[in-house]
Amino acid sequence: MKEIIKTNRLCKTFSNGGVQQHVLRNIDLDIYEGDFTVIMGASGAGKSTLLYALSGMDKPTLGEILFAGEKITDKKPDELALFRRKNCGFVFQQTYLVESMSVLDNVLAAGLLTEKNKKAAATRAKEVLKSVDIEESLWDKFPAQLSGGEAQRVGIARALVNRPRVVFADEPTGALNSKTGKDVLDTLTRANNDGQSVVMVTHDITSARRGNRILYVKDGEIAGKLDLGKYLSGDKERHLKLRDFLGGMGW
Amino acid sequence: MTKEFLLAKSHFRKNRGTAAGIFLLMFLASFLLSISMILFTDVYPTGKKSAERLDSGDGVIKIYNIGDKDDAFIRDLLDGDVERYGISRCLNYPNTSVISNTEGAEVMVNLIVETSEQALNKTMARTEIIDEDDTVTEGYVYLPYQLHTSGHFEIGDMYPVTVAGKRYDLKIRGFLENTYYGCNNSGCYEIIVPDNIYDELMEISGKTNLMACVPYALKDKSTQNHFATRVSNDGLKYDINMSVENVSLSDVILSRTFMSLIIAVSFFTVTVIVMAVIIMMIANSIANYVKENMKTIGALKAIGYTGRNIRISLIIMFLMISVIASVTGVCLSYAALPYVAEIVVAQMGLPYRSSFSLFATAASFFAVVIFTLIATLFSARKVNRIIPIVALREGIESHNFKRNPIKLERSFLNLDLSLAMKTLFSNLRQNVIVFVVIAFLIFLCVNSLLMYENFSRKPNLKLMALEICSGVIGVDGENAEDAQDFLSSRPEVSSVRKLYNFRVFTDDEDSIVLNAFEDPSKMNNQDLCYKGRLPLHDNEICLSGRYAKSAGLKIGDEVRLNLAGNSYSYVISGFIQIMTNGGKEAVLTEAAAANLADLGNFPTYFYFDTETEDETVKLLEDCEARFGDHLLSSSNFYQNVKGSLATFKGISALMMILVCSVSAAVIILVLYLLIRSLIFSKRKDYGIYKAIGYTSRDLVFQTAASFMPAIILSTIISTIASYYLANPYMQVIMINFGLMKCTFNIPIPGLIIIAVSMIIVSFLFAVFESGKVRKIEAYNMLVSE
Repeated sequence: MKEIIKTNRLCKTFSNGGVQQHVLRNIDLDIYEGDFTVIMGASGAGKSTLLYALSGMDKPTLGEILFAGEKITDKKPDELALFRRKNCGFVFQQTYLVESMSVLDNVLAAGLLTEKNKKAAATRAKEVLKSVDIEESLWDKFPAQLSGGEAQRVGIARALVNRPRVVFADEPTGALNSKTGKDVLDTLTRANNDGQSVVMVTHDITSARRGNRILYVKDGEIAGKLDLGKYLSGDKERHLKLRDFLGGMGW
Repeated sequence: MTKEFLLAKSHFRKNRGTAAGIFLLMFLASFLLSISMILFTDVYPTGKKSAERLDSGDGVIKIYNIGDKDDAFIRDLLDGDVERYGISRCLNYPNTSVISNTEGAEVMVNLIVETSEQALNKTMARTEIIDEDDTVTEGYVYLPYQLHTSGHFEIGDMYPVTVAGKRYDLKIRGFLENTYYGCNNSGCYEIIVPDNIYDELMEISGKTNLMACVPYALKDKSTQNHFATRVSNDGLKYDINMSVENVSLSDVILSRTFMSLIIAVSFFTVTVIVMAVIIMMIANSIANYVKENMKTIGALKAIGYTGRNIRISLIIMFLMISVIASVTGVCLSYAALPYVAEIVVAQMGLPYRSSFSLFATAASFFAVVIFTLIATLFSARKVNRIIPIVALREGIESHNFKRNPIKLERSFLNLDLSLAMKTLFSNLRQNVIVFVVIAFLIFLCVNSLLMYENFSRKPNLKLMALEICSGVIGVDGENAEDAQDFLSSRPEVSSVRKLYNFRVFTDDEDSIVLNAFEDPSKMNNQDLCYKGRLPLHDNEICLSGRYAKSAGLKIGDEVRLNLAGNSYSYVISGFIQIMTNGGKEAVLTEAAAANLADLGNFPTYFYFDTETEDETVKLLEDCEARFGDHLLSSSNFYQNVKGSLATFKGISALMMILVCSVSAAVIILVLYLLIRSLIFSKRKDYGIYKAIGYTSRDLVFQTAASFMPAIILSTIISTIASYYLANPYMQVIMINFGLMKCTFNIPIPGLIIIAVSMIIVSFLFAVFESGKVRKIEAYNMLVSE
C-alpha cells in the first residue's frame, strides 16, 4: 500500500514557565493512502498533538514529516495553509463551523479555496452535503440552528469538499450522544469506503473499531500498532481483537 | 467598593489596548477643548481687557481736517451726550500704504502720525509703550505692536514710512499698544516720530491732514448711533470740508479679535466631533465587553455580584482613563498654548501673557469626565439584563438568523471579497461608526481646505474686497481730472475706475459708507452684488445685505440717506456683501451720490489695472513724482492683499494642518479600536479559516476590506456633501462679518486629495492593524477552546 504520510524522529516539546514538556518523542510512522487510521491513547498521551503535527496545523520541534513525498516541516505558516487547503480536511470535536455563515456557505467557504468556478464549487458542496445526509432544507440554516450530529456532519462535508488526500478527525464523536455519534462514524466510514484516507484520534473503543489500522500513543511514543482490516458492521471478532490490543497497551 | 475596583482592574488588564486607544481620544478631546476654552475665556477677552486698562471709553470720534479750530468747538460738538472725553491732535494720512511685514508686504490704513508728547499724554484711550530701546534718539519710529507680532519687525530694524510724498527710513525704537489705532483690521495705525520729522510733515501737509481724535464715554451707551449721526452732521454743517467719523469700541474689538473667535470655534468643533467619537467608542467597547465576557459575567452574577457591581466597575475603569487623559490633555494644552496664542495675538496686535484659567481648565476636565460618565452609564445598562444561567451557556446570541447577506454561491465577488462583505454585515455597528466618523472628519477637512484655499493659497478677493485692481491712488478734488487724464494716457493702464467714498446716515441714524463709482457696471468685482443688480440710475443704490437684513429692507424698497442736511431716497436695486466697516457699505453711481453732496469736496480715488506688478510699482512712483503732496494715497493692490491677508494665511494654514492631523489621528484610533475588537471577537473564526486553508494574507485582506465599503462610501458621500455644504456652513459664520452668500472656491483637486488620502490612510492602517491576524495560530485557537 502507498504511504501518504511518513514521519522521521518527530518530536514536539512544549515549554511552560520554563518547564519543558516532551509531548512527542522521536516518532517514526507511516500512514497509508486509503486507510482509516485511528490514533488512540490515554488523555495527555499526545495523540491530538500528533494529529495536528501530521496535518501541518502545528509545527514539530524536531524531526520531519513527508506528506505525499513533500517535506512539510520547513514550510512557512502561509505555505502550510496553502498545503492544507489542497491536501487536508479537518473534523473537530466541537465542529467549529463559522456561526455567522449558513450551512452551505460553511462548506463553500472551504470549497471555493480550490475550485474557483463558483457553479462547480456549489455543485460539489451540495453533492457532499447530500452524501453526509444533510437535507436541502438545512442548507440555508445557521450552525446554531442544527443539532450536534447535523453540525458535525456539516463539518465532515466541509472536510470532504476539496477531495483532500487525508481527512483528519479529532474526537469527532466526543461531544455527541451515541446515536448521533454513530451517524457521524457511519459518514466517515462511508467516505473511507469511497477511497478517502482518514486519520482519526479517539479514546472511544466503539469509534476506534471503524479504523483498519490502530496506532497507540503512550507517553509521546507509538507504543503499539494493530491491523484490524476493513470495518464490517457487527464484526464481534474485530471488537475483541481491539479490546485485547488495548488491554495489552494498558488501556 | 473594593470588589468593584478589583473588577475594574481586571477589565483594564484584559483591555489594555482598548483602554490605550480611548485614552488617546480622550486626551485629544481634553487638549483641544482646553485650548478652545482658554481662547474663549482668556485670549478673546484680551481686547476688552486692554481697552479697559487703556481707558478707551465707548468709541472715538475722528475729526478730519480740523485745521486750527480750538477745543471749545469740539466741546460744543459733543454737547451733553458724553460723560468724559479726551482730545488729542495728530497728523492723519488716510488710505496710506504701509509696510506690514519684513517681507515687504503692504497694507492700506489710515496712518496717524504723532510726537511722543502727543501720543503718550492722552487722558483717554491712552497709548502705551510695550517695549523700547531709548538709546535710539533720532530718526526713530514707534510702531503698532501688530507690526511686531504679525509683521515680525524688531526694535532696531529699519522701517520706511512714505507720507505726503516723502519717504523716511526710520529706526524702530519701540512698539505701541492702543485700542483704536493698532490693527490693520480696524484700518488704523498709529506711529510716533521725532519732533523734527513731525514738524516737517506739519509744514508739508498740516493744513489738510491735521486731525482731532476724541475718545469718549457716553452717559447712555444705547445712544451711540444717535450721537455719532448728530456729531457727524453738526460737524459738516459747521464746515463742509471737515468730516467726522465715529468708531465704536465694540466694532474695533470685534475686528481685532474675530480671528481668535474663529480659531476657538474651530477647535471647539473638532472637540465636539472627537467627543462624539469617544462616546461611540465607549458604547462599542462596552458592547464588545458584554459579548466577549458573557460567561464571565454569568459566573460573576452566579457567585453573587450584582449588575450594579459590574456596571460600577466599568464606570470606574472608564472614569479613571478619562481623569488621567483629561489631566494630561489639559496640562499639555498649557504647554501648547503659547504657540497657538502667538498666531492669534499676531492678528490682535495686543500683548498677551498666558495665565492659568481655572474656568477653562475645570470646564475642559469635567466635560470629558462627565461625558465619559454619561456614555458609560448608558452603555453599561445592558449588563443588568443578563441572566446568569443564560450567560453561562452563552445563550444570548446576537446573530440574526433571518439574514444571510452575500450568499457565496450567488455572490459576484471573489471569495475574499465575499467573505469581507460577510464580515462587514456581521460587524455592521462598527462600520456605521466608521461611516459617521469619516463623514465628520471629511467635512472638517473640506472646511479647512476652503479656508486655506481662499485665505491663503489663492485669496478670494471677490469676497473680501470692494474692487479688484492693480493699484489705487487718491488725490484731492482739485487734481482729480488731471489724475484721471494722467492714468488714462498711460499705455500700460488697461482701465481706470473713479471712486468717491464717504459716510452717510440713514433715518435710523445708522452710519453707512457710500462707494460712488462712475459706472458700477465696469467694476472688475461684479460678484460684489450677490442679489439683484448693481445700480444703473441716479436714484438706485446697492445696499449691503447685512445692513439690509438688520433694517428689514428688500430689493425695490426705498432707503433715505442723509448727509449734512441733505437727504435723498434711493431705490434698492440689489445687495452687496462686504466685510469692511462692519458690512455697512453701499454702492451707487457717481450721479446718484451727487444727490447728497458735492463730490468735489471729497478725495477722489482711481482704481487702475496694469498687466504686471512692476508696471504698477513704476506707475505709482510716477504718480508720487507728478502729484507730490496732492497725492493723498497710493497703493499697490498686490502687496496690499499680501499684507492684509498675511495673518490669515498663517492661521488658515495652521487650521488646515491641525484639522488634517487630528482627522488622521482620529481615524487611526477609531480603526485601531474597531479592528482590534473585531479580531478579538472573531479569533475563533480566524482559527477555523486558517485550519481549513486560508492564509494570513487572505484574512488580513478580508479584515481590512470589510471596512473599506464604509470608508469609501462615507468618503465619497461626505466629500460630495461637504462640497455643497461647506459654503452654507461658512456663511453661518461669515454672515456676522458681512458676507451674506459665501461662494468660496473649493478646489476639486484638493477635494480629491483629501478623499484619496482618507481612503489610503484608512486602508493602510486597516491593513497594518489587521496584520495582527497573523499572530492567531489555528492550532492554539482551536485547542484552547
